[in-house]
Amino acid sequence: MASQGIGETGLTDSGPSSHSHHNHNMPYAVYRGINPASTSFINQESSGFDFGELEEAFVLQGFKISNDEAKASLYAAAAATGKPAATLEMFPSWPMRFQQTPREKSKSREESTDSGSLSSRVQPHLEPESPISRKASSDHQQNQLHITHKSQEQQQQLQNMASNNPRTGGLQTELAASKSNSEKKKGAASTSERVLDPKTLRRLAQNREAAKKSRIRKKAYVQQLETSRMRLSQLEQELQRASSQGIFLGGGTTAGSNISSGAAIFDMEYSRWLDDDQRHMSELRTALQAHLSDGDLRLIVDGYIAHYDEIFCLKGVAAKSDVFHLITGMWTTPAERCFLWMGGFRPSELIKMLIGQLDPLTEQQVVGIYSLQQSSQQAEDALSQGLEQLQQSLIDTIATASLHDGMHHMALALGKLSNLEGFVRQADNLRQQTLHQLHRILTVRQAARCFLVIGEYYGRLRALSSLWLSRPRETLIVDDNSCQTITGLQMTQINVTCQAKSSEGANRTMPHVK
Amino acid sequence: MQYEIESWNGYLQKEIERMTSKNAVVIFSKNTCCMCHAIKRLMCGMGVDPTVYECDDHNLTWQHTLFSLLGNSSSSSLLVVFSGGKLVGSIDSIMVAHINDILVPLLKEAGALWL
Repeated sequence: MASQGIGETGLTDSGPSSHSHHNHNMPYAVYRGINPASTSFINQESSGFDFGELEEAFVLQGFKISNDEAKASLYAAAAATGKPAATLEMFPSWPMRFQQTPREKSKSREESTDSGSLSSRVQPHLEPESPISRKASSDHQQNQLHITHKSQEQQQQLQNMASNNPRTGGLQTELAASKSNSEKKKGAASTSERVLDPKTLRRLAQNREAAKKSRIRKKAYVQQLETSRMRLSQLEQELQRASSQGIFLGGGTTAGSNISSGAAIFDMEYSRWLDDDQRHMSELRTALQAHLSDGDLRLIVDGYIAHYDEIFCLKGVAAKSDVFHLITGMWTTPAERCFLWMGGFRPSELIKMLIGQLDPLTEQQVVGIYSLQQSSQQAEDALSQGLEQLQQSLIDTIATASLHDGMHHMALALGKLSNLEGFVRQADNLRQQTLHQLHRILTVRQAARCFLVIGEYYGRLRALSSLWLSRPRETLIVDDNSCQTITGLQMTQINVTCQAKSSEGANRTMPHVK
Repeated sequence: MQYEIESWNGYLQKEIERMTSKNAVVIFSKNTCCMCHAIKRLMCGMGVDPTVYECDDHNLTWQHTLFSLLGNSSSSSLLVVFSGGKLVGSIDSIMVAHINDILVPLLKEAGALWL
């Protein structure tokens, strides 16, 4: 196979099944060869490749390899495998397949000039598309067959783009035009010079969605790699420090980020959702200030509700793969995590927060909202008690596990644990219903303000978390002769430094350090 | 075998009808289900006294019939609620109904609540 056979995790629909397709040759896995497995992956996605999306991905720069080292090793790795061309020709080669070769020259020229920055930026996005590009030389035929039956319209789209604009120009305008979600559709529209029928449009949209999802998964995986790498270097540093100074440093590192692929994917999608949230909120803000008509405002509010529905849907998917990630709140910021209830916010508390901010309300609305608060409170209590019951039952099962039938009890316990997903789902269901009911009770304008308030509230809560995490911590180090106030975040380092600075009279349990 | 199941189904349907018509609120659940506990707490909190029938793990025909009542429900926990002899649904429906202020009128209609 001409492919480099690099695998990536979390890039198929079902995380676990993807692992068997992997072939980690390089530390920074980027590409995946087309093998039957990945072909089936593509089939699973039931979409072709949205080249419009791909090109937009070039400049989106939503994802960057965070350090140059990574880029360097990517090139080194690429070169080492003797296929630098695959990286560089990614873009020129792939449209080529649908067009005649004459284009190749101009494309490769263009590509080579900015291949450096582009490739590295683009690689993470390329999972659905890269198999095609990598197969530039060899499985051309296979790809063609593979692609053509799937994405005739992309081919046309691409041809349109390529033929109507000079490549650079086309790329740039495409990319500039498709910076945000709402503009993506515009981008697609501007590329196709001819009118596409609704089915094609729908397919394009589906392709875009699939490409988006794949990008997210790719981001998630690379993010995981990045985190692991950082953690590794942190550990190495600490180890070095410890060995050179003979000090035992334990537990100082950030908690191991051994998150499952399902959790990583969800984290990525959640951060994308947060960005969307910002956008929705600014839309709401401008809409309210501009005093739009109720009809227009209704559209925006409905859009925001759909946005919330989306996160609940995502959480539902995540609950199936990693319920603990949700329920322990590892996807939220620390301040949110502290007040977490069953993997999210507590609807009754949200309403309590809102009641003061929604004036003026009619009496009927007030009654409705108070009744909503009460209902959600009752439902929350019921679910909490159900969860307690589950916990009790689990405790009983594990406690009575003896030597003889331990396995049986553990199996029972496993079964009980699987009920957690149901609870998180019901809690999310409750949250979703509460928001919908709020929407029903309030007028359009009130609802717009209400959602703005909610969004801003959680934004502030998240900001609070960051502020808390980055606050300067003052420590009072007392030794025999002096009190020193040291400011800093690395407690261990501070301790070491202080020991070094302390006078000779200090009691030293640790060896003297320079 | 198919015929047997169908006839059982028919019999069970009648049984279910009989059982649900006797009491205002009837809940069918599996005895290991914790969600059932949650629903029971909810009902009791509202002042309703539901009649709960729990079927154990071995009673597959009952489970099969109850699941079929819920349609293509994806939830793993088996919980079916009847109010006033009519099917309300699984826990999803109960929660939705409760939040949307539909549950209380429904229960009142069934005679489970008086206030």
